[in-house]
Amino acid sequence: MSSFIITGIVADGAGRAFSGFLDLQFRPARLISDYIYERGIGASLINAAAVGITGLILILIAKVQLSGATFAALFTMMGFALFGKTPVNILPIIFGVYLAGKLVGKTFSEYLIIALFGTALGPLVSMVTVELGLTGLSAVAVGTCAGIATGFILPAIAVSVLHFHQGYSLYNLGLSCGFFALFAAALFRAGGYTFEGLMLWHTGNSAILIFMVPLLSVILILTGLFSGGKKGLRDLAAIQKHTGRLPSDFMDLESMEGALINSGLIGLIGSAYILLIGGDFNGPTIGGLLTIMGFGAFGTHLKNSWPVVIGVIAASLVFGKSLTAPGVLLAVIFCTTLAPLAGAFGIFTGLIAGFIHLVLVHQTGSWQGGMNLYNNGFAGGLTATLIVSVIAWYRSRNSDFK
Amino acid sequence: MKRKDLILHLIGEISNFLLESDPRRLVISLHQEENGLHLCVLDENPHTDEEIKKIDLALNSRKRPELAGYYGSMTGHDMLGASRLNLLGWQVKHCDVSSIGSGIKIDIWLGGEHFQNDQFTIPKKDTE
Repeated sequence: MSSFIITGIVADGAGRAFSGFLDLQFRPARLISDYIYERGIGASLINAAAVGITGLILILIAKVQLSGATFAALFTMMGFALFGKTPVNILPIIFGVYLAGKLVGKTFSEYLIIALFGTALGPLVSMVTVELGLTGLSAVAVGTCAGIATGFILPAIAVSVLHFHQGYSLYNLGLSCGFFALFAAALFRAGGYTFEGLMLWHTGNSAILIFMVPLLSVILILTGLFSGGKKGLRDLAAIQKHTGRLPSDFMDLESMEGALINSGLIGLIGSAYILLIGGDFNGPTIGGLLTIMGFGAFGTHLKNSWPVVIGVIAASLVFGKSLTAPGVLLAVIFCTTLAPLAGAFGIFTGLIAGFIHLVLVHQTGSWQGGMNLYNNGFAGGLTATLIVSVIAWYRSRNSDFK
Repeated sequence: MKRKDLILHLIGEISNFLLESDPRRLVISLHQEENGLHLCVLDENPHTDEEIKKIDLALNSRKRPELAGYYGSMTGHDMLGASRLNLLGWQVKHCDVSSIGSGIKIDIWLGGEHFQNDQFTIPKKDTE
């Protein structure tokens, strides 16, 4: 986090970076709002660090040890703080989750993961605050209340929709937030609001943006290798044998060293892919890479990911979509939410899942008004639900009693 | 969660695990007190020492409230795919896994904040 702040200051100077960071707190944040496009690299990196620090403080308050789940949550929060999350728009949601826990007698630690990932609906708070035409303190008050109400209902949805796909989509809060955002978007539309599509997408790669993730990946790999030696490599091999189904905490199931090497490899390969196809390194794509690196400790590995990625690429080629188009590029990165399907049911299932995912993800963003940042998690959850339903149905054929 | 639902889900997950090896017999015994319960499950399939060690490790993994409170809701509920004993392990007070000659015996103790060891046969030093 400190390296994000230092890099941000080096990139844009302290004054511009911090004033840009403050501006971002009250900007529209719906998909796709690339903060690097809006306020530059410095402001975006400081925002990412601030969101990461917020997450870390919550983990400390909840007295939860750093693990695969919290590692994934922190990387995801910081990644999405490059295009949608800010400390201001996530705090009301976190408080809402805390209140929901109080109501049903759960400790905050039991709902910590929901609180951290539930910040995907930060843009809903920003939208109510700055896009509905409200002004001054009333805008902030209404936006905050909307965020608290959102957070309050999230645990109920998150636990329920987990059963839809039975843990075969890693970004379960993506499906939960998408489900909630459907209703919220319908409510806003009923009130006469029209969602204007946003496409703020930084182009023109700079050295900082290109090398940020590879450098971080190398650091993770070296940390894993030096602290674990051969054990790290052995555990990396063992990680590849897990299905990745939720909750697969690779730090617990194997080791922290193996999980760090796995995360680093995922980051390197993801970056190499973007470089290879000539894609843009910007807020959304770097955020995506950070997310899949985080999930490298919590369900994603190379063996269970590649079939799904190939499925997405195949679908984009079949339907004549450019691999560098924002929607396709993000789908290739985030489709790894479906990796457990390939891990559990094989390569063919993974390929089909990836193919369906790309088709669906192009629709789901407009359904939910771009308020749910985990749009790929939403589409992935629906795709996994479809595939799991078919597999479960097929297995319900006649029992094998003679 | 209502106690009855919780017991059903616990039995579902542990039975799912043992039924994967298709035992001829599976015995489930439940002892309930006001603040806790003891579930004992026995099968008559042979299990290697390594297998028993793995089961013990999964059931006696460190407590993970952040995972138990959320993903724990899948215990004994979502059973497409392999069973997941760690979902159980995060939620229980104590587990014992032992070989009983012809099969395996799994003892699981579960309870609330006022769980009283002396009402059960649980070893006192191992409880939280």
